[in-house]
Amino acid sequence: MKTATSAASGWPFSTVLVANRGEIAVRVLHTVQKLGLKGAVVFHAADRNAPAVRMADHAIEITGATPVAAYLDSAQILAAAKSCGAGAIHPGYGFLSENTGFARAVESAGLIFIGPKPEQIELMGDKVRARNFVEKGGFPVAPSAIEDDDPKTFVERSRNVGTPLLIKPSAGGGGKGMRIVRDLSVLEAEIERARSEGQRYFGDGRLYCERYIENPRHIEVQVLGDSHGNVVHVFERECSVQRRFQKIVEETPSPALTPQLRAQICETAAGIARSAGYRGAGTVEFIFGQGGEFYFLEMNTRLQVEHPVTEEITGKDLVLEQLRIAAGEPLGYAQGDVSSQGHAIEFRIYAEDPGRGYTPTTGPILALRAPQGDGIRWDSGVVQGGEVTAAFDPMIAKLIVRGTDRNDAIARAEKALAETVLLGCKTNTAFLRRLVVHPAFVAGDVHTGFLDANPQIAADPPMADETLHALLAAASLSTRPMRDAADCVPDLHAAIGEWRN
Amino acid sequence: MQHAFKLGEAEHNLALSRAREAYCLHVGDRRVPIDLKTSPDGRTWLTLGTRHVEVVIATRGDEVFVHLDGEAHALRYWHPLERLAAQAGGGANDLIRAPMPGSIVSVNVKAGDTVAKGQTLLVMESMKMETTLVAPRDGAVAAVQFEKGQTFERDAILLKLEAAAGEGA
Amino acid sequence: MKRIESKLNTASAEFLANAAHNRRLAEEFRERQRKARDDRPQRDIDRLRSQKKLLVRERIALLLDPGTPFLEFSSLAANDAYDGEVPGAACVTGIGIVSGRECVINAGDASVKGGAWYPLTVKKTVRALDIAIENRLPVVHLCDSAGGFLPLQADLFADKYMAGRIFRNQCILSKMGVQQVSVVLGHCTAGGAYVPGLSDYNVIVRGTGAIFLAGPPLVKAATGEENTVDELGGCDMHTTTSGTADYPASSEEEAIAIARDIVAQFKRPKKTHTEWQTPEDPYYDSSDLYGILPRDIKQQFDMKEVIARLVDGSRFHEYQPAYGTTLICGYAHIWGYKIGILGNNGVLFNDSSLKGAHFIELCNQNRTPILFLQNITGFMVGREYERRGITKDGAKMIMAVSCSEVPKFTVMCHGSFGAGNYGMSGRAFDSRMLFSWPQSQTSVMGAEQAANVLADVKIRQLAKSGRTLSQADIDAIRDPVLGEFKRKQSAYYTTSEIWDDGMLDPVDTRNALGMSISAALNTPIGDPRYGVFRL
Repeated sequence: MKTATSAASGWPFSTVLVANRGEIAVRVLHTVQKLGLKGAVVFHAADRNAPAVRMADHAIEITGATPVAAYLDSAQILAAAKSCGAGAIHPGYGFLSENTGFARAVESAGLIFIGPKPEQIELMGDKVRARNFVEKGGFPVAPSAIEDDDPKTFVERSRNVGTPLLIKPSAGGGGKGMRIVRDLSVLEAEIERARSEGQRYFGDGRLYCERYIENPRHIEVQVLGDSHGNVVHVFERECSVQRRFQKIVEETPSPALTPQLRAQICETAAGIARSAGYRGAGTVEFIFGQGGEFYFLEMNTRLQVEHPVTEEITGKDLVLEQLRIAAGEPLGYAQGDVSSQGHAIEFRIYAEDPGRGYTPTTGPILALRAPQGDGIRWDSGVVQGGEVTAAFDPMIAKLIVRGTDRNDAIARAEKALAETVLLGCKTNTAFLRRLVVHPAFVAGDVHTGFLDANPQIAADPPMADETLHALLAAASLSTRPMRDAADCVPDLHAAIGEWRN
Repeated sequence: MQHAFKLGEAEHNLALSRAREAYCLHVGDRRVPIDLKTSPDGRTWLTLGTRHVEVVIATRGDEVFVHLDGEAHALRYWHPLERLAAQAGGGANDLIRAPMPGSIVSVNVKAGDTVAKGQTLLVMESMKMETTLVAPRDGAVAAVQFEKGQTFERDAILLKLEAAAGEGA
Repeated sequence: MKRIESKLNTASAEFLANAAHNRRLAEEFRERQRKARDDRPQRDIDRLRSQKKLLVRERIALLLDPGTPFLEFSSLAANDAYDGEVPGAACVTGIGIVSGRECVINAGDASVKGGAWYPLTVKKTVRALDIAIENRLPVVHLCDSAGGFLPLQADLFADKYMAGRIFRNQCILSKMGVQQVSVVLGHCTAGGAYVPGLSDYNVIVRGTGAIFLAGPPLVKAATGEENTVDELGGCDMHTTTSGTADYPASSEEEAIAIARDIVAQFKRPKKTHTEWQTPEDPYYDSSDLYGILPRDIKQQFDMKEVIARLVDGSRFHEYQPAYGTTLICGYAHIWGYKIGILGNNGVLFNDSSLKGAHFIELCNQNRTPILFLQNITGFMVGREYERRGITKDGAKMIMAVSCSEVPKFTVMCHGSFGAGNYGMSGRAFDSRMLFSWPQSQTSVMGAEQAANVLADVKIRQLAKSGRTLSQADIDAIRDPVLGEFKRKQSAYYTTSEIWDDGMLDPVDTRNALGMSISAALNTPIGDPRYGVFRL
């Protein structure tokens, strides 16, 4: 990497406001400050003692009906940017990162929005428009048929989707009324059954139908585009390990891809971005079938939570790339210059109880020890002495592990997870440890329904007597009434012990 | 065995004694020599029988958090005077605590109501999921601590039970 | 201090025969103890269970700190009285550790005759409270008694050391600033009501605990007033209305937990300073004691071998090793505590008596508690010894023992006969604690000797009236006397009568002494002071 201060000289902004919180605010500020730029951050009172607030050159308090509402308040954020002289705003992920209105408001205020053009956010934010756009460009989308498009030809069009297919009520949700069809001879009967169920559950019998991908994997591709029309991909990430449709573990390279498939899916993603004239960092998500087929799912027009794994194997600082692009610099390298080495896995550390259906937990962070060592990266927005509350998303940190290959990364991950100490608030680290050594995970044989199909991984395993005794011992010796009661026994009687005459 | 810790749902009765050297843990019929020492580098070591293992321990009030063998565990101490008084009141389940942070969707009983084991006491919501809390035993409602719409943290006391009138001795 | 070099051959036939014999005696003792503690008619246990009551030893287990010792007193009290129907004299007493404090425990055993007070119950209780007074130990009373056993009221009620003494002792303790807590786990009626009433603190169990001067039937008979137990003296009445009881509890477990918390509030007195060093286990195995003690009461053994099995590191500083050698005197440590030891190695002669008296004075001079290890047939008799003043030399020793200000401890190791019992701090000489080994014997003289003396007297009386006796006649006179003598000099009889603080398996002696010395040091040691020594 070039020396920081000279790299950013001549840029149209010298202060960057981060309109976010938690670990991503820290992450962005880190690169901003390394470049010699000033980093500013907005914060709600609930985050007053957060690390991002402490490290920022300017921290501006914002208020809201709820803490989350504060971070969604564009007017306050723009005012904050003005007040600290910020020339650019980095939205992080979540909150206002994919809000077209906000991107436009930033630009109208004469500031630089570190992200794509508003119309690109708008296009990709509309799932139907995005799908049509991608399909028209000749990129793969999952075959589907929408009854409303032309009710008369719905059965015929459904037949053309091919098996296995999934019939869903248009008004539906939560799996009610869904029918999987593997044999086209029963298609019409199943359509009628789905219609009557839709009618019964939702009072609406309209349907649509799409190709059903059994045990699909989630594979996404990182892309970068500059304002000069250059687009490259920065390889894929696999995010198939999910719970309740939320990613838990992400890795790169994907164990599911052959070099050919890898090139194919990455090129597809770059092609989609190129066709959109995409500017900034973005992620093209695909659904990937067990047969190697893949279809466009959606495009995220922001930095992803899981971006560090890409950084770890490519050596690219994606926030730096975002800032350079926002400053108007060309990428300055071609696709052939982007290479990857080794394997990286990210684990999302959640304040939650996997054994109780992943319900969120709260509590003080009484002790926090991040794992250390070669290939270990800890991106965190919490510190010892802080508190996890119900106000925000339960993700409190990310552990990123790099190894020479996947097995090496898994071995380091197991150790790093064991060394991750966070006391006061239950987290999912023990569960992640069970997951990372699970034979299916080790074999790379996972899909988005993997955790639902294997609930025993989330369940707290029965405790060995020795572990129980060790815990009771540690707790007893740390509990004043117990320790005091033991300590006040005179030496003589302690030495004689439980003697009876 | 008057002291107790709750670990998950289970209650463990135990005692701690001083031994000739260090301490002894009394669990059931077992007697396990134990000790806890901090080495000069600030690390804490637990001795359990012949085993020495590094632990990290943090406490807050009656809660003890222990990182052992790569996992964090939470225990809650129950002082004998509190525990025995609660037992005498009709059972260990007098305090209905929040299993997770959330808010109250509905309160189905009021103070003074007689309730049967399994009867719905209140419905709470956490992360858009509703959870029904039921009476762990027959008894009467001594107090309702929260109203509909109020939010609470995990382990907050939502409701208190007592023995129903005419119950007991 | 150098180690005693044992001269014992643990492979010898003599040693092995002794060991087998004494182990059997120890086992027999353990078995009698087990019966006294645990054998109860099922209906008595069922009755207590149905009342949600714990057995007395379960209560004590809850009361004591886990992993700590309990030095029980007189576990076989009354084993040779009342046809054996009142095991342990219906109560359990001892020194235990409650919330880190050495306490005397005084617990009624309701599984024996409802915990009724027999004469020996009263004696055992008074002794426990005497121990509390002498050693300034707080007392926890676990009250569950049906009251005095009326058929024997004359033997337990009015005399100086009878039931009234219990309450008198409670008051004296209070006056000394030694605290007491009562846990009312059953009915405390009449005199029994004063036990909680005279305690600094008391806890009462709702439902089963009650305190009143007269129970409902007696009140009805006296005044016609009808009451339930709870109305008359139950937990809620006393803790909310009369103020007779302090803390209400809903279960025995809770009541005992409250009592523990009360004791935890007691100030811990500073102990009297005596020499102390880090304890060390004896070098020689204490189980060798079984092989040391002879099978025959008349046979001698070397008391130094016993000392080597009791004291720290088996180390002993012997005083006057060459003078008066039938009395071994010297210093050692037991559980770290410095102690002066007097042990018999034969009959007490003039020199050994003088040596003993002198050594007792030395111990008083340097504040060293004294341990007496008794195996004594008495002071030497005969013209020669009288001429040398054996009586006045013995008197010197008895004077020194009696006036000793340092705490004394006595173990009846083997024989304890005649005035030797006195010179070696027998029961009458206020040893803080006195224990007996199972084969030990105590009497004014040996049984055969005594039987012969008695037979001789009879024979001479009959001879005066002109009768001659056949051997069979002599045996008929002698044998019953011998039998009765043997019974009453046996350690089982002496412990039944509470002439000691309990029988000990010899291997338990070191721990019992350690706890006894520790307890004794709660009381300050006065300056040496004596009466007139006959010089």
